[in-house]
Amino acid sequence: MPRSLWNGTIAFGMVRVPVKLYSATESKAVRFRERHATDGAAIEHRRVCVEEGREVPYGETVKGFEVSSGSYVTLSKEEIATADGPGARMIEIEHFAGREEIDPVYYDRAYNLGPGKLGDESYLLLHAALKRSERVGIGRFVFHNKAHLVALRALEDVIALHTMRFADELVPVGDLEIPAPQRKPSKLEVAAAGSLVEQLSASFQPEDYEDTYRAALLELIERKARGETIDAPKPVVIAPEDDLLGALQASLERQGGRRPSRAKAKKTKKAPRAQASKPARSAR
Amino acid sequence: MAKPLWTGSLSFGLVNVPVVLFSATRDRDIHFQLLHAPDCSPIETRRVCATEERPVPWPEIARGYELENGEWVLLSDEDLRAAAPRQSRTIDIERFVEVGEIDPVYFDHSYLLVPPDEGAARAYSLLSETMGDSGRAALGRFVLRAKERLVCIRVRDGALTLTTMLFGDEVRSTEEIAEGIEGAAPTREQVDSAVAVIEELGVEFDPTLYRDEHRAHLKRIIKRKQQGKKIAVPVAAAIAEPQVTSAPDLMGALEESLARIRRATKKPKKAAPRARSHARSR
Repeated sequence: MPRSLWNGTIAFGMVRVPVKLYSATESKAVRFRERHATDGAAIEHRRVCVEEGREVPYGETVKGFEVSSGSYVTLSKEEIATADGPGARMIEIEHFAGREEIDPVYYDRAYNLGPGKLGDESYLLLHAALKRSERVGIGRFVFHNKAHLVALRALEDVIALHTMRFADELVPVGDLEIPAPQRKPSKLEVAAAGSLVEQLSASFQPEDYEDTYRAALLELIERKARGETIDAPKPVVIAPEDDLLGALQASLERQGGRRPSRAKAKKTKKAPRAQASKPARSAR
Repeated sequence: MAKPLWTGSLSFGLVNVPVVLFSATRDRDIHFQLLHAPDCSPIETRRVCATEERPVPWPEIARGYELENGEWVLLSDEDLRAAAPRQSRTIDIERFVEVGEIDPVYFDHSYLLVPPDEGAARAYSLLSETMGDSGRAALGRFVLRAKERLVCIRVRDGALTLTTMLFGDEVRSTEEIAEGIEGAAPTREQVDSAVAVIEELGVEFDPTLYRDEHRAHLKRIIKRKQQGKKIAVPVAAAIAEPQVTSAPDLMGALEESLARIRRATKKPKKAAPRARSHARSR
């Protein structure tokens, strides 16, 4: 069993459910460390006092909030933790909402919850109720001195917790200056683009997608380790399309009514990782 | 406007849509500076070469990959691009799916896609108009910061919004946790009551209902400290042990929850007494 990251309690009405938090994800990206380009030596991060120019042990440091340029209010770890409040170990479910009402832009990290000490029955009850109602619980969660909006939902046989952004953490789309086209797309163009979307439509099967870059990168590392020189990639030139309709029609012809074949084949076959896509189906 | 995080193009069939990428989220956290306690002067983190014992400027930092024999291979930004030149510059749309079909566990970070100039605006608006009508999201992939990202792109408030996703093998199985759960399954009556509580608290998701009060609280603490006031730190013993509703008490707790919520909604002027912790102890 992986180690839990946090222990706490979910308040569901008057029912208290003790829970343990586990990470639901693990990155499979190729990991790098910082090295000195000229001699390949390790790079060390050192805390240096700007005034004295010498290295400072962590025990001699304190956290400061800059109230005006160069002027700090210092706070101890305990003082910062008082912001967590008395409910720090409690996630109170404030509302229940429909999962499809939450735009993906709100989601941050995913975790799974397991029952805490003496909590198996209340955990099973909350799980069963979330599953049957097809709703997600919305609450707040303080973790590492930061509050997160969270969504709690039934995922397979466990309760999953998603940290979410607060509304003011999103960039208002209106802040972006999106240039308007001089000439709007024609009806013909929109219709052709719509047909292309139709042709490429499939159901989402997570096992259809594999990280191909990981393998390409590891291969390149191997070549470099053997002393091969790596040619610089040719610059990719992207020219804005003038003949949109022509490009769309050519795409439609190339696609030639062939549907995304793999997705279709997967539907009938029982895929080994089919469990990964189960939540999508059960929530519908 | 902020600096774009990536510049490239969206490829939809044979149509290329030039785009630049911005983060869809902004950092509202309160950040602290590490200070040297005796004189409150700022502390800087310096990168130092371990063999030469000298500070190293950023351009001299390379990405190192450790081989099994303990040797290191150094990679430049160009090497990273060379591993997948096209994916480093193009987001290839492979399929279109319903957003609701994607389990939220796959979602990672969100970005906004914007055409870099007027010349690209027509192709951009064609794609956003088409997708806005179909109610679908485009699935594609590209390489951002030395990692391939599966992405879903959809229209939100008139802008193409891109959300990076995890690959299937990056999502952990829930089986191990599920196997560790013991205890009796809830009775039908208990689930009925629990669902009734959920229905009573049901709303349409409205993110503006929730403010980050923790952040506001931290700001007040900083202000008090600035005014020279003392911050009372609770002693560990005074922090109440979290309570547990044990199996025999579940039904009672559910009934009481329903009664309270219904009382609170009948008299909307009176706020729900949710601050009082009245849980049954084990």
